[in-house]
Amino acid sequence: MNKATAKNAGYAAEYIILVAAIIGVWIVMGSTGNLNPVIMPAPSKVGNTILSLIQSGELWESLGISVARVLQGYLLASVLGIILGILIGLSNHLERLTGLLIQLIKPIPPIAWIPLVILWFGIGEGGKIFLIFLGGFFTILINVIDGIRQADTKLIEVSTSMETPFFKHIFMMVIPSAAPNIFTGLRTGLSSCWMCVVAAELVSSTTGLGYLIMNARQFGKTDVVIVGMLTIGITGKIMDSLLKLAEKLVIRWN
Amino acid sequence: MTGENEKNYIVVERLHKYFSQRGSADMHILDDINFTVKKGEVICIVGSSGCGKSTLLRAICGLDPDHEGTVRIDGTEITGPDKHRGMVFQEHRLFPWLTVSQNVGYALNGISKEEKQEKVKQYIELVGLNGFERSYPRELSGGMAQRAGIARALVNNPSVLFLDEPFGALDAFTKISMQKELKRIQKRSHTTMLLVTHDIDEAVYLADQIIVMSERPGRIQNIVPVKLAEPRDRNSYEFVEIRKIIYNEFFN
Ligand SMILES: Nc1ncnc2c1ncn2[C@@H]1O[C@H](COP(=O)(O)OP(=O)(O)OP(=O)(O)O)[C@@H](O)[C@H]1O
Ligand SMILES: [Mg+2]
Repeated sequence: MNKATAKNAGYAAEYIILVAAIIGVWIVMGSTGNLNPVIMPAPSKVGNTILSLIQSGELWESLGISVARVLQGYLLASVLGIILGILIGLSNHLERLTGLLIQLIKPIPPIAWIPLVILWFGIGEGGKIFLIFLGGFFTILINVIDGIRQADTKLIEVSTSMETPFFKHIFMMVIPSAAPNIFTGLRTGLSSCWMCVVAAELVSSTTGLGYLIMNARQFGKTDVVIVGMLTIGITGKIMDSLLKLAEKLVIRWN
Repeated sequence: MTGENEKNYIVVERLHKYFSQRGSADMHILDDINFTVKKGEVICIVGSSGCGKSTLLRAICGLDPDHEGTVRIDGTEITGPDKHRGMVFQEHRLFPWLTVSQNVGYALNGISKEEKQEKVKQYIELVGLNGFERSYPRELSGGMAQRAGIARALVNNPSVLFLDEPFGALDAFTKISMQKELKRIQKRSHTTMLLVTHDIDEAVYLADQIIVMSERPGRIQNIVPVKLAEPRDRNSYEFVEIRKIIYNEFFN
């Protein structure tokens, strides 16, 4: 075993100990009867609920619906965010034109849009996807603009002095140079899309993880609430890891 | 007319350059620069740090056309950069996201893939980077990166090559072998070259003419012709004599 793997093994061990400690405290508190099952169910109860929700297919169904919504809104946000980000980043004129507007809209949390979105779209799918789109779009847009703006002027000079054709300049100089920022935008954008899907489903839905949580709360099924939360956490983490992997594969030069 | 253009291939006339400064008057950086270069000649520009060498080079190659006076190359006034004039920068300026071959081939547009591959291969060989075609710039040493930069500047078969302290960051050994290599490339391609350096030895070894610049504002202090037989021996009497002349321009 070399030094690096030994170190990694050390980190992994610390990790497991931390998680085990949290669950341990939880188990002990549950078994001493200190926990009100409605406020905080014991771990065994939550474990059983996970199994039964998986067996009934309820968990997969909710998860599938939420993931599908996230992906639609997120994809839209990514495509538009990247294209508009590049255009605005490249043009001083467009940046001046849109700068104030973007800065004004950005700080508004997507949740504050919910009433308007319901008025505009009703409570159908379109509204939810629009909300998710909003959640991801500005984050991605701003990061892409920053990435393009921060491009090394010395390298730009090299490209332009060679009279590089426009599209080659964009695809071989501008976009790769902004790639690290674009990925930062894509990753933070994804997590805000997750926040939005849950918010949208909490407010106006009869399906999805957000609904699963909201519905369980109304019936005092705190164990289901916790399972829903864990599922969101784990799925979000997996999707983020996938993006990280994609980033590593794309940005090979670092 | 052709003969005239060969003799006065590059003509720099009454070139002045000012940089605007916040708060105070414009800084006069280049003061009345005049000189001519024959086709195929190697000119070295020497001067102390900050005297305006990079500024002069950028003005001549068209990267900074905002100056007084005119620069003509082959009879045409220079108002902007052109892919037929190559530039090797003080820093290598390779694109970090492209491999060595992609960097070298970046300047090639509008030719077939095979033709492009062939040219890239040829110039990578010329600068001795075979085997590193697929490496990224961060995987290269300083000297290798600088050579990749030279290959990239040469690949379009430029009529003039501008080099701004291309070997400034290299150790003495690599530097000398790179100077030899540049000389070899020049003998083969007959490219007109303008090279900025603050290394007197380098200038005497490479140049047909040495332009000595003075400081603040940058003026041409002297133009020293270097008529040495090839290959040049850095320890020969004549070489040392010219080195002395240049040395005395600065420290007398
Ligand atoms: N973009 C700029 N704006 C304002 N002043 C500048 C700019 N570029 C250069 N200068 C000034 O012009 C002068 C000459 O700079 P230049 O880079 O040409 O020097 P140099 O002779 O190449 O020096 P070195 O040998 O250190 O590279 C310096 O005093 C510098 O401060
Ligand atoms: Mg310089």
